[in-house]
Amino acid sequence: MAGLYVKPGNKERGWNDPPQFSYGLQTQAGGPKRTPLTKRVAAPQDGSPRVPTSETSPGAPPMGPPPLSSKASRPPFVGSCPPSSMEPTNFPVVESEILLEDVLRPLERALEDCRGHTKKQVCDDISRRLALLQEQWAGGKLSMPVKKRMALLVQELSSHQWDAADDIHRSLMVDHVTEVSQWMVGVKRLIAEKRSLSSEEEANEEKSVATAEQNQTMPGIQHDP
Amino acid sequence: MPQFSTVEYVIQRGAQSPLIFLYVVDTCLEEDDLQALKESLQMSLSLLPPDALVGLITFGRMVQVHELSCEGISKSYVFRGTKDLTAKQIQDMLGLTKPAVPVHPARPAQPQEHPSISSRFLQPIHKIDMNLTDLLGELQRDPWPVPQGKRPLRSTGVALSIAVGLLEGTFPNTGARIMLFIGGPPTQGPGMVVGDELKVPIRSWHDIEKDNARFMKKATKHYEMLANRAAANGHCIDIYACALDQTGLLEMKCCTNLTGGHMVMGDSFNTSLFKQTFQRIFSKDFNGNFRMAFGATLEVKTSRELKVAGAIGPCVSLNVKGPCVSENELGVGGTSQWKICGLDPTSTLGIYFEVVNQHNAPIPQGGRGAIQFVTHYQHSSTQRRIRVTTIARNWADAQSQLKHIEAAFDQEAAAVLMARLGVFRAESEEGPDVLRWLDRQLIRLCQKFGQYTKEDPASFRLSDSFSLYPQFMFHLRRSPFLQVFNNSPDESSYYRHHFARQDLTQSLIMIQPILYSYSFHGPPEPVLLDSSSILADRILLMDTFFQIVIYLGETIAQWQKAGYQDMPEYENFKHLLQAPLDDAQEILHARFPMPRYINTEHGGSQARFLLSKVNPSQTHNNLYAWGQETGAPILTDDVSLQVFMDHLKKLAVSSAC
Repeated sequence: MAGLYVKPGNKERGWNDPPQFSYGLQTQAGGPKRTPLTKRVAAPQDGSPRVPTSETSPGAPPMGPPPLSSKASRPPFVGSCPPSSMEPTNFPVVESEILLEDVLRPLERALEDCRGHTKKQVCDDISRRLALLQEQWAGGKLSMPVKKRMALLVQELSSHQWDAADDIHRSLMVDHVTEVSQWMVGVKRLIAEKRSLSSEEEANEEKSVATAEQNQTMPGIQHDP
Repeated sequence: MPQFSTVEYVIQRGAQSPLIFLYVVDTCLEEDDLQALKESLQMSLSLLPPDALVGLITFGRMVQVHELSCEGISKSYVFRGTKDLTAKQIQDMLGLTKPAVPVHPARPAQPQEHPSISSRFLQPIHKIDMNLTDLLGELQRDPWPVPQGKRPLRSTGVALSIAVGLLEGTFPNTGARIMLFIGGPPTQGPGMVVGDELKVPIRSWHDIEKDNARFMKKATKHYEMLANRAAANGHCIDIYACALDQTGLLEMKCCTNLTGGHMVMGDSFNTSLFKQTFQRIFSKDFNGNFRMAFGATLEVKTSRELKVAGAIGPCVSLNVKGPCVSENELGVGGTSQWKICGLDPTSTLGIYFEVVNQHNAPIPQGGRGAIQFVTHYQHSSTQRRIRVTTIARNWADAQSQLKHIEAAFDQEAAAVLMARLGVFRAESEEGPDVLRWLDRQLIRLCQKFGQYTKEDPASFRLSDSFSLYPQFMFHLRRSPFLQVFNNSPDESSYYRHHFARQDLTQSLIMIQPILYSYSFHGPPEPVLLDSSSILADRILLMDTFFQIVIYLGETIAQWQKAGYQDMPEYENFKHLLQAPLDDAQEILHARFPMPRYINTEHGGSQARFLLSKVNPSQTHNNLYAWGQETGAPILTDDVSLQVFMDHLKKLAVSSAC
């Protein structure tokens, strides 16, 4: 699914720019939480600051190395979850190539399905953007994470998992807006159109099933020819 | 019996109006800044719900109102940036006619009844997202060339005026957000804050003190007028200001402060600080709803013995008089109802009450006072809701039951409420007067609740209920909310804006930053915000709300430089270095707005962020008086907490006061 990572901020534009969280990490409902840092220490009433028990005397020659790592001396830290990585997700060792056709064909098929149901102008607009997607992909302008997530998006779309597909589109817009902004809105619209087409079809199906049942279960009632 | 209860009612009847977002975008930006802003706006279209209405106004020297249509050709209405227009003039020029059916003030405007009015400038996302994405993608920098030594001509005042007028004419009394994005100060037209000559700098606090800020009064008046109109219509105004120099937040702050809109201040739109903060505005709760609410009115009702003196927070008065309204005003007073046009889960109002005892009548045994808060608002799911909170408390006699009062004292809430009052006063009074007033309040508190022998400062003691309170006041006095000369007027306005609305925990962090210490000696622990906490073998994490600072003590820094963290036998050192980073990340994950992130060490130039906040118990003045040197000395002439407490005790026990 969407990557969970944190990358550093833009140090050139803001020297103290905070790190940037990926969409996946941002929308996490909050897993194991470390204890919130909200405690304070009251100042001693008699006025002098407490002198900490152990300290290094200043002006001494450079210190020796830190304490050696051993079970006893390992400092327990607040919270029990392992530190999350500050690096982007590592690439897997084996990378299966994601083919453009595997992503584009299902999208084009979905567009064809919508042609009867959606305004021509909208379909043309979506088609134009799919062409742009193809051009950028074939031209090597899209990064691997984008390609991977598009493959996932297409899978969800084909399985009629509209919300999941929509969420992937959002994660791509948040994490990779520069690469995808020109054509992603077309994919977004396609998901919406497929969703509404599909619910229309379901509604029609239910209606026809209901009428068929009605015809079957009431043999005693005479229908007008 | 429960001490308080909150019940929320969902109103089923009535039309549900969609959420409205009007983007007002400055195009006098550098190329990569504009590109980053465009991308953030395009991204936001994916985060908005499909039936939300969205509109676009761009400006530079001229102001352009874009007509959003699904047909091929894009049209826009262009206004001169120098001339202000009335609401009616704007509505006439944009071809907006008044609705034939007069809008009942209690009922929100029904957009679906007037498709011809709403469809041109404010369209639902599901219809125009593709076109708007393209329109945003094609936005260019303001084409007017900027000569050497000059600032770009930026007509923010007129742009905002048109935005307010547009919404006033199409969607009065409906929840809406005007989102203003600026990359520099307004330099022409009404609301200009500085001229276009670069050699004349924008006003500083020094200029203001010397009455040398020629545009300030007029500009402030212009934005106050707009803010009040927007608030009257339930619309909130956000300001996203990203520039290296000031942008005029001082003059424009009423726009956000009166309407409950956001104020975000950054160096550039091409930073994580802006991008992430902007994304977080659209964050959702567990039900998939935005964490924002609109058009709220808060009513306060009290039992006989209490009166409402006022409120401090992102609100305007609704001027509702009544028997529970006090004549003494604290904050926004003279009313028992206020309007808050923009709300989020951390929004708070500080409400001040007065106890009125008729002719010193004795308090009946077991008597209780009660307060009820009734909030009507538009939830982000577009439903209208009513939230009611009722509180009852026992009355206690100040002469005979002081201990009860003491035991029920919430020093944290008290500190924030006093601080808000202080900052509110600081906006209109002289700084030193506010400090003197705060000091007097603190001394009176100590006189009333301290245990002491008269004229004997050494005997003075405060009970646990007040253990942190004097410290809070000490840090408040030194804080950027009351000490303005270390910051620009815009920075002070930014800090004060957030202080006036945040919840208790965050407000306390702003008054007295949190300091945690990490070392090999044990688990991370909170330590005194004091120079004595800065030690060579510790890592410190300081949270001021606006900044997260990680500071490596001298020895730690040396070890890191030597690379011990990369050696397997010193793995615990690697963990030690990582622990504060992880805790910092936890804070960064949730906070709005995103704070600045400073990773520094002993001797680093950025260490000043830590050094300026800690109590200077050790300065160059008293360094040798302490004997053994502990902690890091601070180069300052500021009074330390110890000196402050000594003076406080002297004054509290003195019979002269």
